[in-house]
Amino acid sequence: MNARVPHEPVLGGAPSARRFGAVNWRGLATFFLREMQRGFKIWKITLAAPAIRALLFASVFGLAIDRPDAMMAGMPFLEFLVPGLVAVVALERAFESSSFSIVYDKTEGIFADLSMLPLTPGEIVLGYAAATVAGSLVVAAVVWAALLVFGSGLPHAPLSLLFFISVGSLMVGLFSQISGLWSRKWDYIISVQTFIFMPFVFLSGVFFSLGELSEDARAIAHLNPVFYVVDGIRYGLTGYGEADLYLAAAVSLGVVAVLWIGAYRLFAIGYRFKS
Amino acid sequence: MNEKAAADGAARLATPPSVRRFGLVNWRGVWTLYQREVKRFLKVFTQTICAPIITTLLFYTIFSIALHDRVRVVSDVPFVVFLAPGLIMMAILQNSFQNCSSSIMVAKVQGNIVDVLMPPMSPLELICGYLGGGVTRGILVGSVTTIVMTVVAGFPFHDVGAILYFGIAASAMLCLLGMIGGIWAEKFDHMAAITNFVIVPLSFLSGTFYSIGRLPELWQTIAHLNPFFYAIDGFRYGFIGQADSPIWLGMLVLAGIDVVLFLIVHRMLVTGYKLKS
Repeated sequence: MNARVPHEPVLGGAPSARRFGAVNWRGLATFFLREMQRGFKIWKITLAAPAIRALLFASVFGLAIDRPDAMMAGMPFLEFLVPGLVAVVALERAFESSSFSIVYDKTEGIFADLSMLPLTPGEIVLGYAAATVAGSLVVAAVVWAALLVFGSGLPHAPLSLLFFISVGSLMVGLFSQISGLWSRKWDYIISVQTFIFMPFVFLSGVFFSLGELSEDARAIAHLNPVFYVVDGIRYGLTGYGEADLYLAAAVSLGVVAVLWIGAYRLFAIGYRFKS
Repeated sequence: MNEKAAADGAARLATPPSVRRFGLVNWRGVWTLYQREVKRFLKVFTQTICAPIITTLLFYTIFSIALHDRVRVVSDVPFVVFLAPGLIMMAILQNSFQNCSSSIMVAKVQGNIVDVLMPPMSPLELICGYLGGGVTRGILVGSVTTIVMTVVAGFPFHDVGAILYFGIAASAMLCLLGMIGGIWAEKFDHMAAITNFVIVPLSFLSGTFYSIGRLPELWQTIAHLNPFFYAIDGFRYGFIGQADSPIWLGMLVLAGIDVVLFLIVHRMLVTGYKLKS
């Protein structure tokens, strides 16, 4: 038996505080990982269920449309539909990830612990946002792969696709942080989801071209920032977009900036959690 | 001080309260459980009534815009009229299921299911209480959605009797399924799995969005094995007067399934499956 030097505990001196610079990277990474684990621990609900739902939607539309010549915006209907489904699941995941996490912590009474972490409000917003975007990208990839059976080909412009899914989920994720902070109970966040989030998403042109709408309705639909996200995602997948690509990018980024400032302010003043 | 009142009070204190007697059926127990069930969902009516109504109307809007001139359903019925009853029925089905399953599930997780099992109520009476609550919610959501859609889109009422029969029978079916699910599930995860992998697929593939008669042979056979198909088909017949399968068959199938599910739930409650251990 060879003599092993036992691992000697360091006895001299008390543990010192960990030092970090302008950004607490390790704290940020830990927070990000916790959020990701939270989301994907229940992968049956957060990954498998949206994939099944997207497949069901595609099947239902496929079965309903019995005319091979049924087109939407000049392309076969299912081809038009697939990007919409990818967008819906990515944005739904984005809405649920931060807000449900926040409301869960609130009902458990542990949300105020956030203010005791060595994380600045900016880092907290960034941590939630990063987990949201990463989660949405995973869900979008899985659903896109599942929809390959419906003949959705490879993305037309992968970088645009990546950009618009990220910006879109960031937009919804920041909105979800604000809604989560505002919510006192589950009731509140479910109301935001049903009465604000869902109409914005489903009326944004996920399932139909805005060309189907009347002149007035189309003008209103163009005011919906989600439209630009969905349009960008559709361009990325199929090469067909209804709005100018740069306008879409600018609108999305502008809305993200406003929401980011809003979320930052609320975390900084401790809205509804430090009182 | 009034002497008589004081004497009455003393007498009341001296004799213990007597046991309440009831006959064959504990009507007051059933009524109390029913009221509890209704209050349970009314307390959060934004989630349980308003949300499903808004969601249904939203789906109605987007499916109408996306599909209206791309689908041929039954000869002389416009797609928007064809679609509406199916969506209303889907809302009834999902809400009835949710009400009964979540009520039992939450009680199990929070540990207060004993408060339902302890009172002097037979399994039959328990089922009636829960069933009443779930059907009330299903019918409430269905009625309001129907009224709104009638005002917005305006569609015919061919046979109100069929509407009521299929609405209530289908609601009861999903309530009973919800009770089975609620008793069986041990975690919310299990419940979500039943909803996502059983209830949602069965309701989506039930002919809400298309006429089964236009599908290929194989799909028609599969659709006829789905009990939700009969619910939607019969319910739609009540509005537009046309159906993919004979109405009497749908009525029999739903009644048969209701009876079988009822017997299963009854058996579960009698044996205390996953409830009393």
